[in-house]
Amino acid sequence: MFYRLSGIHHTGYASAHRLWSVPADRWQVVAVLALALLAPLFVSDLYLGSYVLPWLVWSAAALSLSLLMGLAGQLHFGYAAVMAIGAYTSIHLAQAGVPFALAILGAGLTSAVIGTLFGAAALRVKGLYLVMATLAMQYLVDWVIVNVPAISGGAQATLRTPDVTFLGLPVETLSQRYYFALAWAVLLALFFMNVKRTSFGRALIAIRDKDFAAAVIGVDPFRFKLMAFLTSSFVGGVTGAVLAFCYYRAVTPEQFSFNVSIQLVAMVLVGGLGSVIGGFLGAGFVLLLPIILTNAIADLGASGWIDLSQNLMAHLPLIFYGAMIIGFLLFEPLGLAKIYDNVRKYFLVWPFRHSGS
Amino acid sequence: MRHDPDMTRGARTLHPDWREDDHLIAILARNARDHPRGVAMRERDHGIWHETTWPAYLDRVLALAAGLEAQGIGAGDVVLITGDNRPALYVALLSLATLRAIPSPAFSDSRPEELLGQMEREGIAVAIVEDQEQVDKLQSVRDRRGELRTILYDDPRGLDGSAPEGARSIADVAAEGRRRLEAEAGLREDLLARPSVFDVAVLMHSSGTTGAPKGIPLRHGHLLSGVRNAARAGYFHEGEEHMAYLPMAWIGDYSFSVAAALELRFTVNVPENQETALHDLREIAPTLYFASPRAWSAMLTRIQVGIAETAGLKRRLYDHFMPFAIERERRRLRGEAPGLASRIWYGLGDAMIYGPIRDRLGLRRVERPYTAGEAIGEDVFLYFRALGLNLRQFYGQTENCALAVAQSKEDISLTTVGRPFPGVDARIDGSGEILLKSENIFDGYWDNAEATAESLQDGWLHTGDAGEFAEDGQLVVLGRLSEVQHKADGTRFIPTYLENRLKFAAAIRDVCVIGADRPFLAAIVCIDFDAVGQWAQERGLSYTSYAELSQMPQVIELVGERIAELNRAVPDSLVIRRFINLHKEFDPDDGEVTRTRKVRRKVIDENYADIIAAIYDRAETVEHEARITYEDGRTGTLRRRLSIGDIDGEG
Repeated sequence: MFYRLSGIHHTGYASAHRLWSVPADRWQVVAVLALALLAPLFVSDLYLGSYVLPWLVWSAAALSLSLLMGLAGQLHFGYAAVMAIGAYTSIHLAQAGVPFALAILGAGLTSAVIGTLFGAAALRVKGLYLVMATLAMQYLVDWVIVNVPAISGGAQATLRTPDVTFLGLPVETLSQRYYFALAWAVLLALFFMNVKRTSFGRALIAIRDKDFAAAVIGVDPFRFKLMAFLTSSFVGGVTGAVLAFCYYRAVTPEQFSFNVSIQLVAMVLVGGLGSVIGGFLGAGFVLLLPIILTNAIADLGASGWIDLSQNLMAHLPLIFYGAMIIGFLLFEPLGLAKIYDNVRKYFLVWPFRHSGS
Repeated sequence: MRHDPDMTRGARTLHPDWREDDHLIAILARNARDHPRGVAMRERDHGIWHETTWPAYLDRVLALAAGLEAQGIGAGDVVLITGDNRPALYVALLSLATLRAIPSPAFSDSRPEELLGQMEREGIAVAIVEDQEQVDKLQSVRDRRGELRTILYDDPRGLDGSAPEGARSIADVAAEGRRRLEAEAGLREDLLARPSVFDVAVLMHSSGTTGAPKGIPLRHGHLLSGVRNAARAGYFHEGEEHMAYLPMAWIGDYSFSVAAALELRFTVNVPENQETALHDLREIAPTLYFASPRAWSAMLTRIQVGIAETAGLKRRLYDHFMPFAIERERRRLRGEAPGLASRIWYGLGDAMIYGPIRDRLGLRRVERPYTAGEAIGEDVFLYFRALGLNLRQFYGQTENCALAVAQSKEDISLTTVGRPFPGVDARIDGSGEILLKSENIFDGYWDNAEATAESLQDGWLHTGDAGEFAEDGQLVVLGRLSEVQHKADGTRFIPTYLENRLKFAAAIRDVCVIGADRPFLAAIVCIDFDAVGQWAQERGLSYTSYAELSQMPQVIELVGERIAELNRAVPDSLVIRRFINLHKEFDPDDGEVTRTRKVRRKVIDENYADIIAAIYDRAETVEHEARITYEDGRTGTLRRRLSIGDIDGEG
């Protein structure tokens, strides 16, 4: 109904590979970007700071992980640790007086180096064994952060982020921090989409589908698995730094615990492996749905229609949340991105049933 | 054989108004000079549309012309051109015109014998063809046509290194021409100065429903005045996007893709191949679109089959909005202006149904959709007009560059074909024949003074069509004069009139009405495999082949109902009593229809004599021995039992 596909033709390979060759998709991107840019004008500070901003940052985190899990097919259950390394590195560098831009770069590099070290295990092991290896990373990094005061400032300590400027632009007020996070999320989304249409991305996908088959067609699994860990850990580290500076503004070790890793994996799976839209939708689902459910059930309780015990009130949202995740995975195992894709295709072939007629 | 080099002698006196240097090549050069970045042509190759600008187009034409000249081709030589639409072949048409040679296009699916006949009649020694298939066809008749010395091909696949003697690739010859152009100063200007408006630009052919096709030479001046008349009538606009998918041997393609494209600077889009033409059409979304009534009808069938597969919301919206729009269009044609509510509702339907369907067909940007060739079904005509396409009919023959009469935007009617273009005179003579006179009517058939004298009298073209003028001055075409037949009791009938009305039914693809000197009328029907197949699927009827599907009792009943519907609408004397579903479609390879799918009655009478005899013997079934011509020319036979259907009813 909304899509007009006639008249789209390509006079060269560059144009044949462009992102969003359908005009309706371009308009959609423009509209979403405009909404995001104008958000500070019409969204209250409370919602901007506690819903929209974390959503953007966690979306960036989900995208970073999706690069590894969705494109290269390497499971990672210790991704919170990667982000923790980025967050702590950036804070320490910033406190030491290093410009914020360099501090972020340093955060990415440190995460990349450490993440790749653990990722090297992936060259030997696959599947569940890789999960174990990355879990080990999660606990080792947690342990090191908690037990090395030079990093965490002590087991119970909270490190505050200093006020910083990024290339001359201050990142202090809520809207400044929001735009910074938005810029990073958009940059990462663009990077992700471009990776998918380069030889690097195609190599990763080949390895995901079958690594020895990829080796047969000349894709070196050793090199590309390492590069996948390197790239993903780098952007994960930067996202950790953005999370610390834009959202938490103070970090403690618990913020990067094993739960967080599991949540990130949930975001990627619920959203849809290897999909940009899936990254955003998955982060939104995992992050915002519990809040919405809690509010809805609290309202229901307050309205007095149903008599709910305090205990039930606390657990009902979790019950529904769990049921919804199971429901979504049963209904569409390929995630929210696939649901979006189905809806899009429904309208793409409108008013026919499929593109064949 | 080289023809009279001064073949223009008579033309100068016939056309005193033509300017000597107003020819297609000069227009190409003008476009190249004035629009150096304008895109003249796009060709789809492996999904990518490669663009040719006007200067590049001119360069290709001149390079090939110089190369062809080096091959010994000069003024007056007739050169065979055959293949599907390819830029190289369009370039060749113009290169030959530059050399004052005469391109003679043939349909790409012509049989070798047909090509041989054309070569013999026109003294052809050189052929420019598309690919290996065409080269092989020519090669197969070469022992009978020793004069054929050179074959040039565009697509080298299957020919590289194994090309028969005398076959070279067009690219080779063009490269040689390019070297000549570089080496010889002044050759370029010399080439450009050669052609004249009085030269024959192309040698087209009549479709040949009876006997061998007649050659129809058309001069630059004919084509240009035809295009200019049409442009003055608002029929073409400057800078249209045009899809070149119609057979190159059909005059319409030459008028649209070459003459009008040059004069009005169209961008001519050439599809990847015939099979992808509809898909490629959607990628281009042309602004000008021509399709035969048959193609429009096929498109409607495609939509209906697609919609039949939908369910739920899509289906309900379609079922509401489409009948609404068709009813609205019906009233508009009757002259009732739609009210405000109707307009708002139509706007809604346009956003939800009509717009998306136009988009799916690739006709979203079409402002000038046309049809011609035969009558278009009321259903089809109304449907596409209801979709928001300003579908119009036109009327013309090869003899007048297919540009003579067309409906204007305002007064559309189903029964008329419109008014003559400015510059075209039309009248009806005593016998009811349509006569036309204008600058774009040819000067006589190729080497056939007898036929010329018959159809050209005092400058008036005798079209052979029966027609009349409606009260508002629009032309109505009734049918071919030569096709009027008489039943045994002497009643007149025009088979095509009945056939066209029967073919409007989705279930019927082709039909031949018989009954000359017989007691009653009967029909030989070829069902439409797609439409009837879908119909059978919906009813859970299983079938394996066209033949089996056509003989199912339910399908016979379905076709019988369609014929009964027509019977109710015509006078009793024109009622069709019996019919038979043929086990195969009419095939141009068997000679049953022409390449433009006009029925060849003589061949059908001959091929199906046993069936026709059985129909009039009142038999229930008939054992038919079918002769089959395979694609490679071999023949075989097949025995089949066919059932004959009776139409119930009084009269």
